[in-house]
Amino acid sequence: MSVVTVQLGQCGNQVAHELLDVVWSDAQKKPSRAASCERFFHHNTHGELVARAVLIDMEPKVINQSLSRAAKCGRWRYGEDSHFSQKQGSGNNWANGYCVHGPRHRDVVEELVRREVERCDRLAGLLAMMSVAGGTGSGVGAYVTQCLRDIYPTSFILNHLTWPYRTGEVIVQNYNSVLTLAHLYQLSDAILVHENDTAHRICSQLLNIKHISFSDVNKVIAHQLGSVLQPALTADSHGVYSRNPLGIDWQVRPPAGSGRSTSLTGSSFNTSLANLLILRGKDVYSAETGGFEDPALYTSWLSSKEAFSLWKSPVSFNKYEKSATLVSNSQALLSPLDDMVGKAWNMFASRAYIHQYMKYGISEEDFLDSFTSLEQVISSYRQLC
Amino acid sequence: MQRAKVSGSVEVKQVIGALCRLLAAAGVDPVPVPENFRRAKFGGGAEEDQFWQLLGSILQKTAVVSSEVDLQLRGASENRKFVAAGLWQTGYHADWMYERQGGHAEGGRSFSSRDLLLALGWLLAAGTLEKLLTQRVQQLDKTLLTPVPVNLHLSSELQFDSASLRRLQWLIGRLRHQGRILLSMLQEQTRLLHAVFSASLSSAASSSCGQSSVVLKEDLVCVQQLCDLLEAYLSWRQVEDVFWTWMDSVVDCHLTGPVIKRPTHAQSGSPGVCHHGTWGLDKPDDMLLGLPVDTHTSTPTQEGPRRGRGDVKDRGGGEKGRAGPPFVSSLPSVPFLSQVFRARLQAERPVRQPRAEDLHSSTEAPELKASQAVQLLLHAEALLLERRDRQRLANRTQLQEMIGSLDELVLIPP
Repeated sequence: MSVVTVQLGQCGNQVAHELLDVVWSDAQKKPSRAASCERFFHHNTHGELVARAVLIDMEPKVINQSLSRAAKCGRWRYGEDSHFSQKQGSGNNWANGYCVHGPRHRDVVEELVRREVERCDRLAGLLAMMSVAGGTGSGVGAYVTQCLRDIYPTSFILNHLTWPYRTGEVIVQNYNSVLTLAHLYQLSDAILVHENDTAHRICSQLLNIKHISFSDVNKVIAHQLGSVLQPALTADSHGVYSRNPLGIDWQVRPPAGSGRSTSLTGSSFNTSLANLLILRGKDVYSAETGGFEDPALYTSWLSSKEAFSLWKSPVSFNKYEKSATLVSNSQALLSPLDDMVGKAWNMFASRAYIHQYMKYGISEEDFLDSFTSLEQVISSYRQLC
Repeated sequence: MQRAKVSGSVEVKQVIGALCRLLAAAGVDPVPVPENFRRAKFGGGAEEDQFWQLLGSILQKTAVVSSEVDLQLRGASENRKFVAAGLWQTGYHADWMYERQGGHAEGGRSFSSRDLLLALGWLLAAGTLEKLLTQRVQQLDKTLLTPVPVNLHLSSELQFDSASLRRLQWLIGRLRHQGRILLSMLQEQTRLLHAVFSASLSSAASSSCGQSSVVLKEDLVCVQQLCDLLEAYLSWRQVEDVFWTWMDSVVDCHLTGPVIKRPTHAQSGSPGVCHHGTWGLDKPDDMLLGLPVDTHTSTPTQEGPRRGRGDVKDRGGGEKGRAGPPFVSSLPSVPFLSQVFRARLQAERPVRQPRAEDLHSSTEAPELKASQAVQLLLHAEALLLERRDRQRLANRTQLQEMIGSLDELVLIPP
C-alpha cells in the first residue's frame, strides 16, 4: 500500500525531500523495511529506488535543487519526469496560484499524479505537502487538492501544512493562510499542521542549534512526520506491520498539531477531540500511558476509549532509542489559528492588498466566506468541553 | 394465434425454469419441475405434495417459523401445519389455512395445488427470494465480514443539544472512515488472493503444496457456486415480469373457477364456514356478511385469499357474474333469487366431480337456465350494490356524528 507524495511550492518540496530522506534512512536494516520502502518508493527497471512523488512549483529553482540533491546522494532519487515547474512563480499571491496557475496547468499535474498512482499496487492515499503562507504552495496546493479529491473520491487525502512564523516576512501570509485553510477544510480528510515557530523552538531549546536554518527546521518537521508515517503496530494489526499507513482515526476534519511529550504536566491541557500516541523504540510495551486515557482530557461526548489510540513499535526510529509522538486534535491550535484569522481580518477590514487578489479573480465574497468558515471552526473548538 | 400461444407458453416454461434454477441454487430442496407449475395452475392433485414441500423448505430456510424437525423428517400433515403457520407469519391469510383438519376442507370448500401456487407467488412478492439469496451468499462467501454490532450510546429520546449533534457528526465521520478502511482491506485481500492464485498456478506441476491446493479447490467450488447463484438471479430478474403476468393468469383462473372440487366427506355446508372466512375483513364486509344468513347454503367454493374476495366485490360493478354462485347464495339477498338459485345449485350438486365434461354440460344443455341465472345474478348484484351504498352512507353519517361530538377532532374524509 503506497502513498503518493504531492510536493507543492518551495516549502512543500523542501520538507518532503527531508521526509523521504528520513524515511529511507530509517528503513535501512529494519524488519519493516519492505513495508516502509514500498510505501514511499518503488524500484525502477534499473533497480534504483525511486520516490513516489510529484514535484510541483511555479519556479524552477527549488525543484532543480531537490532533483540534483536526490540524484547525488545515490540512495534514492526522484523520477525523471515526475516534476513540473514554470518560470515566473506566484508572487506570494494565493489568488494567482488558485485562479491562474492551478487551472492553467491542471491537466499536466493530474497526469503526473495519475502516473504515480497507477504505478502503485494499491493506493493508500495522497500526501500533499505545502505551506500556507506563500502563493504556490497555498493557492496551487488548494486547487490541486480539489482536483485530486474529484478524481480520487475514495482515497485518503492528507494535507501536511507548514504554518509560517507569526512574525513572518510575507506581509499577506495571513490572507493566504486563511484562504487555504478555508478551502482545504472542505476537501481534505486530515490536515496535519506544523508551525515554524514550534519547530524553531525545538531546534533552539531542545537541539541547541545556534544558527537555525530552514534546513534544520525542515529536518525537525520531517522527523516528526516520519515517526507518524512509518509502520507501527496499531491496535488491530496483530503483530504484523500494517501496510496501511493512514488508519489514523480523525473523524471531524480539523487541523491537528503535533508536539513531543512523554510527560504530563498538570491540568493545563487543552480539551482534545482525539489523540494518537505513537511510541517507538525500547520498552514500548512497558510504557505507562494511562494518563492519556483520562476522560478529563477529552470532550464529554466521546469516551476516552473512542478518542485515544495508541500505536507501538519496538523498532527505534531515526536513531532515537526511544521516541514518542503525539498527534492531537485539540484546542492546542486554537490560539495560533485565532491569531492568524484576527490579523487577516484586521488587514481585510482596511482592504489592504485586496486589489492584488481581486485582479486574479478572487472577490470580497470569497474572502468573507473563508473568514466565516474559519470562525465557525474556531468557535466549535472553543466550545469543546 | 395458436403459434403465439405456443410460443407464449414456451416462454413461460423458460421463465419458470429460471425460477427453479434460482431456487435450487439458493439451496431450496426439492424444487418441482417447470411442468408441474403449469399443472398446478389448473389445480392438479399430483403436484400438491411437491408444492407443500417446496413451501415448507422455503419457509424453513428463511426461518420464518422455526422448526426443530427437518423438512425431510416432517410428516405430511405436520408440514402442512408448518406451512400454514409460516404463511400466516408472512401476512398471507387464505381460508384454507384456517381449517381445523390439516389441509382438507370442511363443508365442501375445495383446495388444490393452485392455492399453493398462489401462496408461493405471495412469498416471492414478499421478498423471500432476496432473503434466501442473502443467506446463501453469506454461507458461500467466506470473505464476508460479519457486521460488528456498534454500540451507539443513543438514548431512547432524541436530544437535540449540541453535544448529541457533535457526537452524531463524529459518528458519521467515523463510519465514513471505517467504510474506507474496509474498502482498502477488501482491495488488499484481492491483491493477496491474486498473489496466492498466481503462486499456486506457477507451482501447479509440483504436488508439494497439495494441502493448500485442496483448500483452494474448496474455495474455488464455493466461488463457482456463488457465481452460479448470482447468474441465476440475474437471469431471473430479467424475465421476472413474464412470471408475474403468468401468475396473474393463475389468479384469474382461481377466481373464475371452475375449480375441480375435492370430494368432501359431508355436505354439511355450515354457515360457520362463512364466518371463518370473515377473519380480518373490513367492517362493511362484516356488516354485510353478518346479516342473517339463510340456513342451508350449499357453498361449494369459498374464495381463497382475502384479497380475492375484495377484488370480487370491487369488480362487482364492472364484470359479470364473477362472484360465482356461492358468494351470492350465502348472502341474504333478495329472497326470491336465493330460492331460484338454490334450486339451480341443488341441480348442479351431483355434478361435483373432477370431470371437465360434466361442468361443461351443466352450462351447455339448458341454455335458458344459464341465461336466466345471468339475469338473476345481475339483478342481485344491482341490489347488493345499492345496499352497500346505503350502508356506506349510513356509516359515514354515523362517523361524522361521532367525530362531531368529539372535541378538537376534525374528520378529513379520504
